[in-house]
Amino acid sequence: MEGFTALIVKIGRGVGGVVGTLYQAGRDSVDTVIRNVIPFMAFISFIIGLILTTGVGDWIAKGLKGSASSLPGLLLISIVCAIPLLSPLLGPGAVIAQIVGTLLGVEIGKGNIPAQYSLPALFAINPQVGCDFIPVGLALGEAEPETVEIGVPAVLFSRVITGPLSVVIAYFASFGLYHTSK
Amino acid sequence: MFLNHLITLSAVTVDKPTGFLGALATGAEDFIKVFNKGGSVLLSLMGGILPTLIVLLTAVNALVRIIGAERIENLGKAASRPGIQWYPVRYIILPFVAVFVLTNPMAYTMGRFLPERFKPAFYDSAVSFVHPILGIFPHANPGELFVYLGIATGIKELGYGLGDLAIRYLLVGLVVIFIRGIVTERITARMMAKSERSA
Repeated sequence: MEGFTALIVKIGRGVGGVVGTLYQAGRDSVDTVIRNVIPFMAFISFIIGLILTTGVGDWIAKGLKGSASSLPGLLLISIVCAIPLLSPLLGPGAVIAQIVGTLLGVEIGKGNIPAQYSLPALFAINPQVGCDFIPVGLALGEAEPETVEIGVPAVLFSRVITGPLSVVIAYFASFGLYHTSK
Repeated sequence: MFLNHLITLSAVTVDKPTGFLGALATGAEDFIKVFNKGGSVLLSLMGGILPTLIVLLTAVNALVRIIGAERIENLGKAASRPGIQWYPVRYIILPFVAVFVLTNPMAYTMGRFLPERFKPAFYDSAVSFVHPILGIFPHANPGELFVYLGIATGIKELGYGLGDLAIRYLLVGLVVIFIRGIVTERITARMMAKSERSA
């Protein structure tokens, strides 16, 4: 009888643990969505509304169409984003990358930028990723102050090379993506 | 009788308002149009993406809790070994697992298992992966979803599937973080040597 009770307790604990984990996971995800995702959606929706209803859209489209629908143009965007003085300023919260990404998305949706350029564009708008966060990120990895001192410029210089390179790789990887057979 | 009256009423069209007040009225309509459009975009985003995202986040969060963050520590120790065969572990597998399990920004804590000379390169590699992973595993960095989603929305508008873009973004991302890790490691090594000589 005692063994039976122990079994029931064991099963009960196990089930409770799994349900508790799932419930907590659900709570975490709803929390993230309300705190991080929906506010950004609201902000992005406002910008899209502004672009689509005012003339700003055509103006941006003209500017982006030339640069975002050719490899040299995308390279230029990535080189600008990778400049060591600019990249830490463009980095925080990936806000710039998210806004530019949304603008490009609107233009892709309208057909002003070919769909296959979406892949290289994703890399072109983002060579500055995390450049604002290097000291904190290294501190999270328990790096010594001397490592941080060298690590910050090392990452920034590395981006000058790898930023445009990532665009080239993505450009070649985008062959056959959304290819329309006409 | 009443019906007839209604029909004649509906036939009457209001002139476009003119003059100063008219300009104000047109301005007000244009003003609210921006927010109506924004509102419909918001609704389509929340209706289209959020439900899937919440369920997916829940499933992956539960999975990560069941796996347990402490289990990936051994991987961090393996990645710290010198030698060319550990490069892919350090700059592809470790960043991928760290970003998937620990998510942004806790993924960078995996750097603590690596020697100092690899830390900047690992950070560079890991932080560069927090966006390419979003197409398939948005739980890793939901606050910065629109880096991917902004462009993906345009693709969706054209009526194309997102799978092709998402998987290519992930795979190219892996190639890029690998190269970035190696390049940053080299630059770090050179700068460390220089500062040691001057010290």
